[in-house]
Amino acid sequence: MNNKAYYGEYGGQYVSESLMNTLNEVDKAFEEAIHDPEFIKQYHYYLKQYVGRETPLYFAERLSAKYGTKIYLKREDLNHTGAHKINNVLGQILLAKRMGKTKVIAETGAGQHGVATATGAALFDMECTVYMGAEDVKRQSLNVMRMEMLGAKVVSVTSGSNTLKDATNEAIRTWAKTAEDTFYIIGSAIGPYPYPKMVKEFQAVISREAKIQHMEAEGRLPDVVMACVGGGSNSIGMFADFIDEPSVKLIGIEAAGKGVDTNEHAASMAKGRPGVLHGTRSYLLQDDDGNIQLAHSISAGLDYPGVGPEHAYLHDTGRAQYVPITDYEAMDALMELTKLEGIIPAIESAHAVAYALKLAKEMDKDQSMIVCLSGRGDKDVNTISDYLAGKGYLN
Amino acid sequence: MSENRIQLQMKKLQDEGKKAFITYITAGLPDMGKTKEIIKAQEGITDVIELGIPFSDPTADGPVIQQASYEAIQAGASLRKTFALMEELRAEGSDQPIVFMMYYNTIINYGLKEFADKCKAVGVDGLIVPDLPYEEQDALKDALASYGDATILIQLVSPISAERIDTITADAKGFIYCVSAMGVTGQGGSYHKDVTEYLKHVKSVSKIPVMMGFGIRTAADVAPMKDVIDGAIVGTHFINLMREAGFDPKAATEYADTFKKEFV
Repeated sequence: MNNKAYYGEYGGQYVSESLMNTLNEVDKAFEEAIHDPEFIKQYHYYLKQYVGRETPLYFAERLSAKYGTKIYLKREDLNHTGAHKINNVLGQILLAKRMGKTKVIAETGAGQHGVATATGAALFDMECTVYMGAEDVKRQSLNVMRMEMLGAKVVSVTSGSNTLKDATNEAIRTWAKTAEDTFYIIGSAIGPYPYPKMVKEFQAVISREAKIQHMEAEGRLPDVVMACVGGGSNSIGMFADFIDEPSVKLIGIEAAGKGVDTNEHAASMAKGRPGVLHGTRSYLLQDDDGNIQLAHSISAGLDYPGVGPEHAYLHDTGRAQYVPITDYEAMDALMELTKLEGIIPAIESAHAVAYALKLAKEMDKDQSMIVCLSGRGDKDVNTISDYLAGKGYLN
Repeated sequence: MSENRIQLQMKKLQDEGKKAFITYITAGLPDMGKTKEIIKAQEGITDVIELGIPFSDPTADGPVIQQASYEAIQAGASLRKTFALMEELRAEGSDQPIVFMMYYNTIINYGLKEFADKCKAVGVDGLIVPDLPYEEQDALKDALASYGDATILIQLVSPISAERIDTITADAKGFIYCVSAMGVTGQGGSYHKDVTEYLKHVKSVSKIPVMMGFGIRTAADVAPMKDVIDGAIVGTHFINLMREAGFDPKAATEYADTFKKEFV
């Protein structure tokens, strides 16, 4: 057992033998890169000049006044390409280049990670293939077009449930075949080691900035920090610099879909059991035979039956708390934020906002929380419009 | 304690100077009854049967075995039912060496100890777990160890395993499963460019027989490597063949017979 690959009993490298040397190469190159000042300088250059960082820590005035506590929004929605995903893509693609790879592949659900990867590939002139479930290709056609405009090839995956989980399976298969010249850019805090560590490293910029920004605004640490959790990339980035600050409460918000007591949710912590999928051991939604169950959420980005291994560890140790929010609660919060602050969040991020508004009622006016607004809602207008028209869900 | 059926068969082949032949079939495709007939139809011909336990997310498999797995699950196949099939087979006197090819989550879900107990009880001779690389095997090996070599864990090596080959083969049991190509099962004869060199390397360090799998259809496909391998594994092609034959057990007998005769 490779102990550094584990967070408690979670994590590891559950991949075929064909990928083990590849993972070792990625691990070695990654460790060298993040200790190389030149690499870090380059990464921060692109974050600043290309992505537009740092992102603001916006004090939501009207929301705070109405709900009676200080609510700060970490505006990842203002990043180039519209979400936090680009932070990680740039880190991994710079690493891929450094390793001499000429091709990148990625999986995508809603299309945000796919668009971010296609963007990075265009910028660094790499051949890019994105795997996307056939169902998602249908319901996120705008993002498919964006990826194709950016020069990426989008492969519509028709196996299993035709969604993110199956797109990830197909990306892993392709990677196992082509690892000699291809780098797999994983977008969530999942996958075999060192991927969960890499994603955290490249998303940690969120909390690194937010901690300083909150200190400047309030002269102290926040009481609570929260973010939505699908695979867990924006949340691990939002938690990273606060994990060793015991006074800061960490809360991850899972998608409860139609409710955790129904069969249609994506709450792998609330309702799952530990198991192995996509190279890592963590909480998974699975049936009595150990087959992986389909997740459901109105937000395609949270529609995943597992969660990153470090989250499973933070959950078990009690360092972070994970709570479910339903589709309805998320959509109400989305409208509330839109009307009060003039910010249309991604439905994923609206899950975090929904819990923030619940928790605010238990906090006082001098306390403070940071909510990670991981992405903007432009991609979701069709879903929102169908929802408002009472047509239910695209999922 | 009696010796493991795979190890006995390997020894027998070695003594007779013969090559091993292994087929793969997904358990419960199209149903458990047919699976049993297909296994029995190869008794005394095919040296080892690889029985695939269907899983929802078979990341090491190509489209044919994915589809087989999917259909088997839809038809109600599961690990529990495959154990029941094994019980019947052994009760009916079958001494066919059988390995389960399965994904690790199916094992964890059953419980490591419970799984090892059951494998021993129903006579599962070996395991191939494609998403459990050497570094992650300790827990499963510990669970299996309580019954000695009743159920052995088969080791896989790939064309880019390189320096890992020595470590992996050092304490391997039964046979070494060499994948001929990078990636997933069933890639129709397109072996890795350095396949012969790689097989030679494995053969030179391995104390046990070396089998080649992935993309093999006929004995002619492996003829160029026959001096460096001790046997061949046919999975995807065998499933295609069974489908074409409407899962007629006779087709399994004929195919295995032909392959065995031509593979010398």
